Amino acid sequence: MEFKFSDREELLRKTVRDYAEKEIPPYMEAMEETGEFPVELLKGMGQMGILGVITAPEYGGTGMGALARVIVLEELGRVCPAIPMAIQVHHMCTYALGTWGNEEQKKKYLPPLCKGETMGVVAVTEPSGGSDVAGIQTTAKLEGDKYILNGRKCFITNSHHADTWIVIARTGEGGKGLSAFIVEKGFPGAKAGRKENKVGLRGANTGELAFTNCEVPKANLLGNEGDGMTTAIQDIVQCGRPGMAAVALGVLNGVLEQAAKFANERTLYGKSISKLQAIQWYIADIYADLEISRLLTYRVGWMIDQKINCAAESALAKQFACEAAARSARKAIEIHGSYGIMKEYAVQRLLRDALVTIPAGGTAEIAKLVMFRQALSMFGL
Amino acid sequence: MLDFEGPCRTLESPVKIMRIIVCLKPVPDPKHWNRLQLDPKTRTLVRKGIPSTINPLDRHALEAALTLREQEGGEVLIVSMAPEDSQPVLKEALAMGADRAVLLSDRMFAGSDTLGTAYVLSAGIERLGEFDLILCGDETIDGGTAQVSAQLAEFLGVPNVMHVSGLEAFPEKPWLVRSQIEHGYMVVEIEPPMVLSVVKSINTPRYVTLMNILEAEQKQIEVWSANDVTLSEPWAGLTGSPTQMADLFVPERKGMAEMITGDAKEQAAKLADRLHRLGFC
Amino acid sequence: MTDRIESKIWVFVEQRRHLVAEVGLELLRKAQTLAKPLQWKVAAVLIGRELGALADMVLSFGVDEVLVADDPLLEHYCNQAYVRAVEGAIRQYEPQVLLLGATAMGTDFAPRLAARLRTGLSAHCIDLDVTPDGQLLSLVPGWGGNVMARISCPKTRPQVATVLPGVFPVPEPGRARGKIVRLNAQLQQEDLGYRIVETKREEAPKSGLETAEIVVAGGWGIGSKADWTRVEELAAALNGAVGATRPPVDEGWAEEKQMIGQSGRTVRPRLYIGLGISGHMHHLVGVKSSELSVAINSDPKAAIFGHCDVGLVGDLKEIVPPLIEAIRQYSQQEPE
Repeated sequence: MEFKFSDREELLRKTVRDYAEKEIPPYMEAMEETGEFPVELLKGMGQMGILGVITAPEYGGTGMGALARVIVLEELGRVCPAIPMAIQVHHMCTYALGTWGNEEQKKKYLPPLCKGETMGVVAVTEPSGGSDVAGIQTTAKLEGDKYILNGRKCFITNSHHADTWIVIARTGEGGKGLSAFIVEKGFPGAKAGRKENKVGLRGANTGELAFTNCEVPKANLLGNEGDGMTTAIQDIVQCGRPGMAAVALGVLNGVLEQAAKFANERTLYGKSISKLQAIQWYIADIYADLEISRLLTYRVGWMIDQKINCAAESALAKQFACEAAARSARKAIEIHGSYGIMKEYAVQRLLRDALVTIPAGGTAEIAKLVMFRQALSMFGL
Repeated sequence: MLDFEGPCRTLESPVKIMRIIVCLKPVPDPKHWNRLQLDPKTRTLVRKGIPSTINPLDRHALEAALTLREQEGGEVLIVSMAPEDSQPVLKEALAMGADRAVLLSDRMFAGSDTLGTAYVLSAGIERLGEFDLILCGDETIDGGTAQVSAQLAEFLGVPNVMHVSGLEAFPEKPWLVRSQIEHGYMVVEIEPPMVLSVVKSINTPRYVTLMNILEAEQKQIEVWSANDVTLSEPWAGLTGSPTQMADLFVPERKGMAEMITGDAKEQAAKLADRLHRLGFC
Repeated sequence: MTDRIESKIWVFVEQRRHLVAEVGLELLRKAQTLAKPLQWKVAAVLIGRELGALADMVLSFGVDEVLVADDPLLEHYCNQAYVRAVEGAIRQYEPQVLLLGATAMGTDFAPRLAARLRTGLSAHCIDLDVTPDGQLLSLVPGWGGNVMARISCPKTRPQVATVLPGVFPVPEPGRARGKIVRLNAQLQQEDLGYRIVETKREEAPKSGLETAEIVVAGGWGIGSKADWTRVEELAAALNGAVGATRPPVDEGWAEEKQMIGQSGRTVRPRLYIGLGISGHMHHLVGVKSSELSVAINSDPKAAIFGHCDVGLVGDLKEIVPPLIEAIRQYSQQEPE
């Protein structure tokens, strides 16, 4: 066992940190206010190789892998968690294309996604619920050389900025009746609908995608008909949940920094509040939550790179890190006293950001269900 | 295909490509300086656990070198005198775009002052052969002596300009170099080979991209010890260096300030009252 | 043949276009103080073209000798030519100590000269001392001023140091008593490594800092460009000048001309207020002559509290607005 980052991983972290610390802060105020993702950043992140971190070099990526991706997302999130939220969904799109796309599809869609010329999205969730993949109601009917899509996807990250949509729709009955499609924003009948107004991760845009007799060329079927369920679930396990865990790591890093700095600077009764045991314990708890979450999340990245099945570990990392982010942000607010709920202080935003990570990419309950099954399987049950 | 037309210089004689050397120092990352400790017994700085990084101004020097290579062609070499474990820092410089790196590393170099450092660097550069330009950062962030570039030029017997904020290279005539001086700047005409040390305003260093990180893994860092270079003079290392650190200490405090306490409003009122009584308002 | 030179401390007095850099004069007086117990003589070194009047002026600062390297080829500064102009005399007369100002010119000339002479050089010194056996001890801030080093140069001579401008006071001229010695430079065109083709004096930006009675300076702790207005408002309320440490200048909150410290300006106000300034030596050397210094910082462990007279620990956003308000009220009152 090796609990040490390689020179490559260390340099990657440093590089992304340098980039994030300089490039992201100028946008953060507007992101909070408008709830819009700063699309101006995409080109730069494309040039940095951030967008193509899990895409093979033939298609414009770097192919550095899942562990590298966690490092990238964590470092972006240290500065502003909404950025990796948007980017991790973008990655899910590149993952689906890279894994199930045919040569033509990969050549067409991946290079602009890696360069940041286009933005990607994966749309699974529907108003009836996101975790019940089998319950998807959006339909795709083959008519001649086109599929005709009808239905609505909701709570979709990057909805209004994305150009390349991976959409799961029903081509038949039951779990085997789902298929994945590559839909371009400009296809007839495709439209971004309602825009949501979230409490946290405000800089990552969320909204609806609506399909009204939307015409998708047959060539844009991703994988085979009936593979949609696998595509959706594998994309969530391999990409979505580790990605959300990494966003939570970003929040946790921010929370620990804010808590430690405030405790060190704030004086009460003539001495620093960091001398008070109650405060020390809060900070120790936050530190523990960050470190445990990192271990869990990096393990998943490593397992994916080693091609080891990690459905339960992925669910655990996601569920633990997002909950840890929320409870740690609460503690950081306690440390801040009344300052903690003032808009000038970052901790209130971090709590709001943490809350939004919890349902994203599958609720805690679904994650726990996966973990429960894994626990039972340990005893052959 | 315009690139292949016109006089093909390679046919006449092997074209001398421009060779730019960047002297680079790995320094403890200033973000972690609050963790620096002074060992009261040995009077040395304990920098254990503090990561190293490229000296900030050296990054600007490297950027200037890379820009020049993009304009004029040529190669960019890194030369550094540092402990062997500094290789990740040189790797980052290679990832920024340098072609090759030489690490001068030997126990006998340790403790060199600026004269010693400049001398060892000059020995390494002499082994590399001819060069057109050596670029350095104007000063390092740790020692801050800002002496090595001029001393290196002196050992190599070439002209040097410090505080460089602009550079224009020409193939067949003297280069123009802008150097910052008090309340202004001067422009000098100078011919290669030369040593220039740059200030921050010269450029904005590029980011290392993920692609660069992968490319750098194919590039070599050569490690040269004292035996690999010719050192005919005695200046290298702690014993060779003419200056010695007689003492190292944390600056004496004037004594703690008189603290004004209370909540923010009380503090403000007390200070304003004091300033008023002293006639400042 | 030049006359015999007796001085053991040589001070380089820098000039450009016959304008003398004050640091040279500051160092002359310091050198005289250092030389006294050892009964050494002190020389000023002038390099340039047609320096007659300048040499007389420098003589009036009470030095024993003014060494003049006067040559048409020395009209403009070039480090190699300057080295050539003095190295022969240094080798021949073996001064013990050579001091230069840590200016753009001094920081370039000194290392080149020290390397030619194969001797030791300490840079950006903020204090100097000489031991009874003639060893120069230079005090040098390192690591952003977090530590201080005392540097010596035991084996080689001369012991060379560059000293920050403004560390020592500028002396008043007095009675001339020394003599002028011409150095025989024998320069060739080849001695010039480069040729200055243009010198541009950018309109010396006025910040009013050097002459201000009250200076309010801000540091990294101010936090943002928007918050920087607090520094300006407080300065305005006190009718003082605005200064800054390096980070706010780098961040673009403040202007280059407002920078105080080692690479900026030196101020001597009656009142200095530092806001959000941690207290690195690089800044503090520029304010150490303030009569009353006040620091407001959120970090009770900030180094500045060890260097100022009055300290307030707290959030600038909380303290500064009522402070400005209170000062404005006092200022509006009739004098008692």
